[in-house]
Amino acid sequence: MKNEHHVITRRDFLRAGTCAAVGSLIGVSFTTSARAQSAPKSRVVLIRDKDVLDPSGNIRPEVLEKMLDQALSTLMGTRDSATAWKQLVKPSDVVGVKSNAWYHLRTPEALEAAIQMRLLEAGVKENKMAVDDRGVLRNPVFKQCTALINTRPMRTHYWSGLGTLLKNYIMFTPSPPDYHDNACENLGALWQLPQVKGKTRLNILVMLTPQFHGVGPHSFSLDYVWNYAGLVVSRDPVAADATGARIIQAKREDFFKSPKPISPPPHHISVADTRFKLGNSRPENIELIKLGWDDGILI
Amino acid sequence: MITLLFGSASMAHGQSLDHLKAGLPDRVLTWTKGEEDRLYDERTIFDYIDGAAEVYRAYSMQRCLSRRYITPQGPAVVLDIFDMGSSEDAYGVFTHDQDGEKPNLGQGAYYRAGWLSLWKDRFFVSIYAERETQATRAALLELAATVASLIRTEGPKPRILSSLPVRGLQTEGIKYFHHHVVLNRHYYLTTENLLNLGKKTDAALASYLREAGAAQLLVIEYADGESAKGAYAAFLRHYLPDADSSGMALLENKKWCGVRLKEKRLAIVLEADPRDLAASLLDETMKGGMP
Repeated sequence: MKNEHHVITRRDFLRAGTCAAVGSLIGVSFTTSARAQSAPKSRVVLIRDKDVLDPSGNIRPEVLEKMLDQALSTLMGTRDSATAWKQLVKPSDVVGVKSNAWYHLRTPEALEAAIQMRLLEAGVKENKMAVDDRGVLRNPVFKQCTALINTRPMRTHYWSGLGTLLKNYIMFTPSPPDYHDNACENLGALWQLPQVKGKTRLNILVMLTPQFHGVGPHSFSLDYVWNYAGLVVSRDPVAADATGARIIQAKREDFFKSPKPISPPPHHISVADTRFKLGNSRPENIELIKLGWDDGILI
Repeated sequence: MITLLFGSASMAHGQSLDHLKAGLPDRVLTWTKGEEDRLYDERTIFDYIDGAAEVYRAYSMQRCLSRRYITPQGPAVVLDIFDMGSSEDAYGVFTHDQDGEKPNLGQGAYYRAGWLSLWKDRFFVSIYAERETQATRAALLELAATVASLIRTEGPKPRILSSLPVRGLQTEGIKYFHHHVVLNRHYYLTTENLLNLGKKTDAALASYLREAGAAQLLVIEYADGESAKGAYAAFLRHYLPDADSSGMALLENKKWCGVRLKEKRLAIVLEADPRDLAASLLDETMKGGMP
């Protein structure tokens, strides 16, 4: 008998358990928990420093660099960040720093500069590294890169619920709308593209002034960002995103004083865990190390 | 059917975005025009709007005029006027986000949390403040009134709305659209375009509350009967393989789902409880005026 193509529908989610699937918040898998019990934990470092932003909201680059260094050495278990970077990249690597250029809330230039500086110090040649977002498919360095550093700010997003590290690779496809279905649940598939697969060495989720809610076509208002003054750093993008998402959800509840789930639910994070096996989304599978300022940490 | 949804609207007579631009004020309360106006088309809109740009393209957006107003005393105010090509599509984009207060502007408007949206004729207007204050609220309302008055004509709503049964219809929440991706934003049905939605299909999604219970109704008008028949067959095969002879099935969440086909029109009842409500809505929809 001919096998008919199976179309994934709402009913598949209903059968798997509605509450845990369609209506779930972040970090909750909707399939079996067997993987949750057997998978090794992912280390995530959350570092915060209230002095990283001056009273006007401008970034203090020297504080940001210090945060990055401390997070890296803690993540990699090394005595200093230089050693950590040398474990992440080789001098022969061609490194693409996948940034995010959304003008309301972009990856800070100070962070991009700090990453490039550390790559240089680790021996990567200047002409073998590049920072880019929307031009990655045309960028000669990205075309031949052997390693990727993935960094972006976390924010709520119209189609995917959250703009995440997982989603940051959408510029590696010539057709981003192909990933919009069901709140972009298949964003994990981006990580199987040949330009990307197996190349990501580090993920840095920028939580300096994250955005927890959005309205209007531009989905941005200064009313919905706050000075969290943090970075979430991990080798596991799913674990970093799940951690950031928990912070965003907690902020929403704190701000709105009532249950206000992220909408649409960013289940691409848990799907990246259960379907695409890109990392751990469940809190029990994440080793979260918190450093620095803990006032208003929300997690 | 629901004539209350239709005003005594007249068709647009070629009023252009350029005409509107010429009439826009340089000053709104303490805000003055900032940098030069920008114009975007269906390709370049992605450079301006991240994420949600797909919505405007799904409604055949022609052009978007963007103007920024600034003041030393507070946050900037951003005006975006989208020429959607038809009043039906301007209405459709407007129905994409429906919440908040309802100021009496244009052919419909909402204000919430520093964002005002309105539609009139073929234009969808969005005005937002980068931070909400009492002053920005006043500026948004004044600017919206000005823009609405510059658009001289009104336009009709989509004809498909007349096929929605009136009783129990929650008029505030009606969604009008063409594309699969927009349907999934409002109600995730399937990852693939099972219903073969596209530019040539008109679709409406509405909620119902009656004494008997609640349901959602999706009505789609196809360009031809063959397309409708194909979508009907695909829906039954992939989504309701367990449907009974009347096209109904009780789903895993204990809600009824049903589908009915008549000529070019497909009706699907979703999340219905009880069964009789689903059956009634399908019957009434098929009795509604055919285009």
